[in-house]
Amino acid sequence: MIKDRLEIIFRQSFEIEKFTEDLSIDNVLGWDSMAHVGLILALQKEFAISIPSADALELTSVKGIVQYIQGRSAQKDSLR
Amino acid sequence: MFKKKKRESIGVQIIKQLNEIVCDAVKSATWLAYRKAAGQIRELLKSGAAKLQTSVKAAFLSSFTVDPLVDFAVVEAAAHSIELQPYIAPYGQFNQELLNPQSELYRASPQLTFLLIEAELLLASDAIDEQTQSSVLSRLQGLVDAFLKNSTGVLVINTFPACPSWPLQVLPDQCRILIEKLNAGIIERYQNHPRIQILDLDALVAYAGCQNAMSPQMMSMARIPFSEAFLGLLARRIISHIIATLGLARKCLVLDCDNTLWGGIIGEDGLDGIQIGHDSPGREYLEFQKTILELYEQGVILAINSKNNYDDVMQVLNEHPQMLLREKHFASILVNWDPKPQNMQKIAEQINIGLDTMVFIDDNPAERQLMRQSLPQVEMLEMPADPSLFARTLRETSFFARVYLTEEDKNRGQIYAAQRQREQFQQSCATLEDFLKSLEMVVSIRHAGKDDIKRVAQLTQRTNQFNLTNRRYTEADIAAMSQNPAWRIYVLGLKDKFGDSGTVGLALVGIQPKKWRIDTFLMSCRVIGRQVEDAMVDRICRDAAKTGCISISAEYISSAKNNLVAGFWDKMGFEKENADAKQVRYSKQLKNYQSPQFVYLKIV
Repeated sequence: MIKDRLEIIFRQSFEIEKFTEDLSIDNVLGWDSMAHVGLILALQKEFAISIPSADALELTSVKGIVQYIQGRSAQKDSLR
Repeated sequence: MFKKKKRESIGVQIIKQLNEIVCDAVKSATWLAYRKAAGQIRELLKSGAAKLQTSVKAAFLSSFTVDPLVDFAVVEAAAHSIELQPYIAPYGQFNQELLNPQSELYRASPQLTFLLIEAELLLASDAIDEQTQSSVLSRLQGLVDAFLKNSTGVLVINTFPACPSWPLQVLPDQCRILIEKLNAGIIERYQNHPRIQILDLDALVAYAGCQNAMSPQMMSMARIPFSEAFLGLLARRIISHIIATLGLARKCLVLDCDNTLWGGIIGEDGLDGIQIGHDSPGREYLEFQKTILELYEQGVILAINSKNNYDDVMQVLNEHPQMLLREKHFASILVNWDPKPQNMQKIAEQINIGLDTMVFIDDNPAERQLMRQSLPQVEMLEMPADPSLFARTLRETSFFARVYLTEEDKNRGQIYAAQRQREQFQQSCATLEDFLKSLEMVVSIRHAGKDDIKRVAQLTQRTNQFNLTNRRYTEADIAAMSQNPAWRIYVLGLKDKFGDSGTVGLALVGIQPKKWRIDTFLMSCRVIGRQVEDAMVDRICRDAAKTGCISISAEYISSAKNNLVAGFWDKMGFEKENADAKQVRYSKQLKNYQSPQFVYLKIV
């Protein structure tokens, strides 16, 4: 589910052929430090969370992003 | 019509492709999507596959990271058929770029330069205190002076967002008060300057709301003070400056009736049943009409294109007590059961303007779709389903963006009403001679003064049909010409028994000893066929002969729209000098020049 939503964001933002967990700042064309800011904004919007800049710096792969968002949703659920 | 469609099909396809790119970006509304779209647009234009109607060179100098804003602007520009070629100054280099006459900025010779800075950046210290106003204004003046000296383009400067620094504090907000004063100083000093425009960032931020517009997170991550959503709005404001500067504003707003100008269907609900007035439902349509009337007062021509019984619609326009818009406000009213694209072409003919200067508003998506397919030149305003948002949607478009209003703009509605009367009168005359004779035309030709500069620039930008060379000039260009003794600017005014048509003719003449060159010669389409152009040519020839000039040269440069005047110089007794049909050079010897007789005109 999270991955599907991520795929939409990635397809809107970059020109990629296959969407996999292995995509990262090192192998996606156009995912540079500027685009990274845009990506964080898009993630915040899509998943309705706010991502502090210390966390943002770590989110450099699809795998990492999925884990992070899972973690954040678990947090939300436990607060409920 | 079908033939034309075929010829345009390749162009239309690419426009569709561009549209898709733009739509995708707009739908997701994220900067990254805009960034991707901007890249695709650049590729498409670079490959030569697509060409947009207009291209513009614009420079961006800023105290913050401006690249994302430029991405938004490139896409928004493409949505208006404008290719934006940006020059982005290196981060934080706006001072050097403006002050150094050899800078990359001046080498790029942009038509518009956007200087977007934060107030703090113009200050020596971080604190905004009592000395702020004079210190910021004088530093800004230094930058402006350097720009005016080294560039011939337009400079756009911003006001500073006066955001509340302590929204819930009871103490007066000194910082906000100072910034407001500063903004007032900027506006007072630079408004009405022919080469400086003010991007009222303070107003734009207020419109979006400080909390929504400013983003501490963006500031910390990317050194951009604004939120992603606000960057989109700011980009659209930038497009407005481009449209206004290049004179690309649309001239005519064409409206549907049922569920657009009023709620309900006049043919079914009747005069008493339709919704328009101060009570709801109906109030939203009154607000919308108020907005349209404001556009009318800014010189936008109004027309109606509606599927209805003619008499029903005229009854609403003339008799409904709550209507703000009346018959007199419309230059053309086409109400019938014909396809709307066909009506649209008739409206364009009646008012004598191009389809590509029109905007159409219709509540029916099927009608919009049909219009888009048949006449892609006509701009369509996508209206929201909720009519209470109609007015806001219209107010948030860049289509009618203008830098200034001329006297002609303010009176355009009456001028078109007079034109309708004139046409009715012409039909009652037996011959063209009778008509011209009884019009009692008075022509005045004079050198342009300071007050004419705006109108002269506007005429060069907006006249397409009776325009021999189609050279476009900005207000800044004209202001420079008027100071230069090597140029003469002739303007022609026309009055007749139906009223004053204002300044309707223009000639820009380059003056060298013994040799004059007519650089630009144009007449407003309203006066075509009235023989006033002959008087203008005669005046130039007489003046030239008086100063001992031997010959005058002129040109006809063919465009998509000026076929009407292809043989004009031949008719005026000029001789062809080359055989190139696209760009014909002419000259006229002035030895023993004799003025022709003017039977229909009184020349003052």
